[in-house]
Parts: sequence; structure tokens; C-alpha cells
Amino acid sequence: MNHVVDILSWSCLLAGAFFLLIGVIGLLRFPDFFTRLHAASVIETLGSLLIVTGLALQAEQALVIVKLILLIVFIMFTSPTAAHALAKAALHGKLEPVTSTEDNN
Amino acid sequence: MFAAAMIAILLAMFMSLCRALLGPTLYDRLLAVNVLGTITVLFIAVFGFLTGRPEFLDIGLAYALINFIATIAVLKFFEYRDMGRATEEELDI
Amino acid sequence: METLINIILLTFLAIIAIAITRIRHLLVTVVLTGMFSLLSASLLVSMDAVDVAFTEAAVGAGISTLLFLSVLALTSTEELAGNRKFSSIAFILVSITGAILIYGTLDIPKFGDPSAPVHHHIAERFIYESPDEIGVPNMVTSVLASYRGYDTLGETTVILTAGIGVLLLLGRGKQDKETD
Repeated sequence: MNHVVDILSWSCLLAGAFFLLIGVIGLLRFPDFFTRLHAASVIETLGSLLIVTGLALQAEQALVIVKLILLIVFIMFTSPTAAHALAKAALHGKLEPVTSTEDNN
Repeated sequence: MFAAAMIAILLAMFMSLCRALLGPTLYDRLLAVNVLGTITVLFIAVFGFLTGRPEFLDIGLAYALINFIATIAVLKFFEYRDMGRATEEELDI
Repeated sequence: METLINIILLTFLAIIAIAITRIRHLLVTVVLTGMFSLLSASLLVSMDAVDVAFTEAAVGAGISTLLFLSVLALTSTEELAGNRKFSSIAFILVSITGAILIYGTLDIPKFGDPSAPVHHHIAERFIYESPDEIGVPNMVTSVLASYRGYDTLGETTVILTAGIGVLLLLGRGKQDKETD
């Protein structure tokens, strides 16, 4: 039983780390702001959710698990709001999405 | 395994730092700071487990909220004040 | 492992600090300063100074970002051009100050050193003798209000002054509006 939980939590952690790296690589390499926003949301949803789940499976006290759940709830509430506000502000600020691949590479 | 996650988190911190320094627009920097805030929260959580003292998670909780407030504040300033509203030329900082 | 993490975080901090000195757009500087606070707070967490980290995150990343932004709303977001050329006097002054500070750190006990003077005799004395010496049952109170009473007096003076300053600044703005 213990081994099953360990393997589950390790795979969660590794998958979370993978998505974290995927997200930041996208953040670094995508051509314009809106696509980068898309890459960043991978970090804030899948990446953080998987890492926190992996941690929660390793936690021994109930209080730690409660805190981790609260953490993920806060992240899940705040980061989509922040992403929405960023996209809205960028549109207000007349930032044009890149729609063709010709003029940038 | 915590160490592997820690290495990934530090790498992610570095890359989002690069995006914040490269820009090119202010929105990109803000996005990078926001992502860095999330990564910092994860850093604190993983660091607590890595050192065997997961009691410091409260700070991660506070960070998640503070980071959100900071991002929203910058955006509000940016969108609703006359000062600092970026024109198209200003965006290429 | 912890030392390695500390070194990496300090490198990040140095990179951001250099970038802050180079960038002229003040809004970007404010954003980067918030980033600096977040990273230095995680450095403080990894050095076990959790309470300081909490303050750093709340004050550095939260409140001072807001304060900088409200100042920027009143002034320009662009740093004035000029006055950026290399000044040898300033460089020498900064170097001397840095050298003095580094010299001062040589005497400081190592990080987490159990034989540091702080960990000997003082704490024990506070614990065992504060009921007789001060007469207050709560040890924290007796340390705060008596053993380091002048320190606490200074702190409260600073907070009082800051509060009065804020009240004066905000109150005056309101009065001006009413008279208009």
C-alpha cells in the first residue's frame, strides 16, 4: 500500500515538473503575448495541481494536507483571474495578437 | 523525487526570469512575474517537504494571495489611469 | 542541497538587481522590484527566517508595489534622460562602503552556528530570572517591554511617526478637495 502511494506521488511530482518545464519553455519561446499566456496557464493549472497532489500524497499530518488543498484552491481561483485581467488589459492596450507566421520567426 | 521537482522549479524560475528581463512588452513581464509568483509558491511547498518540515506552507498561502493582489494592482493602474497607459510605441520597452 | 539552492537564488537576485539598474521604464522597474521581493522572500524561507520572509512578501511584493504605483500615477513613468555617465567619485565611495561592509561581516558568527554568543546564557537568563527581575509572568512581554525597552520605544516611535505622516499627507489632500 505504501509503495503504491509512493509511486503515485512520485509520478505526480515528475509529471508536474514536466508540465512546469513545458510551460516555461513555451513562455520563453512562443512568438507573442497571447500565446505565452496560453503556455503560462499550463504551469498554473496542470503543473501546480500535479505537484501539490504529489506533495499531499507524501504528507503525514492532516493539517498539512488541508493547507495544500487550500493552496491549490487559492491558485485555482487567482491565476485564471489574473490571466483574464492580463489578457483584457493587453487588448485594451491595443496589443495585437500575431495572426500570421510570415513576419516573425 | 522532491529534489527532481526542486530542480525543475529552479529551472522554471530561471526561464520565467529570462522572459521578465527580455520583455518585449510590459504585459510579457507582468505575465512572467505572475508565473514566477506561482512557481515561488510551489518552491516553498516543495522546499518544506525537501527539508522535512512542511509547516511553512502558510507562507505559500499568503504568497499566492499577495502575488494576485500585486498583479491586479499593476493591471488596474495600467488600464484605468491616464498615466502609464501604454501607447503602441511605448509598448516596445 | 540547501546551500546550492541559496546560491542559485542569490544569483537570480543579482541578475534582477543589475537589470533594475539598467532599465529606464519605471513601471517595468516596479514590476521587477516586486519580483526581487518574491525571490528574496523565498531565499529567506530557505534560510529558515520564516517571519522575515512573511514580512518581505507582504511589504516588498504587496504594499511597496502599490505605493510605487500610486506614486507613478502622480509622476511620469519614464526616467529622465541624462545623468547616467560613469562617476569615478561615486564608484570609489561605493567600493569603500562595500569593503567596509564585507570587513564587518568577518566578525559575524557563521550561519546557524550553535556556539554563537546569542545562544549562550542570555536566553537561559531570560527564561529563569525574568519572573524575579521584572515580575511579569509572560516572558515575551518582559523581554519586549523591559529587557529591550528602548528598542521597543524606538520602534513604536517610528510607527507613530509614519502613521502621523500618512495621516497628514492623506488628510491634506482631502481638505484641498473640499475647499476647491
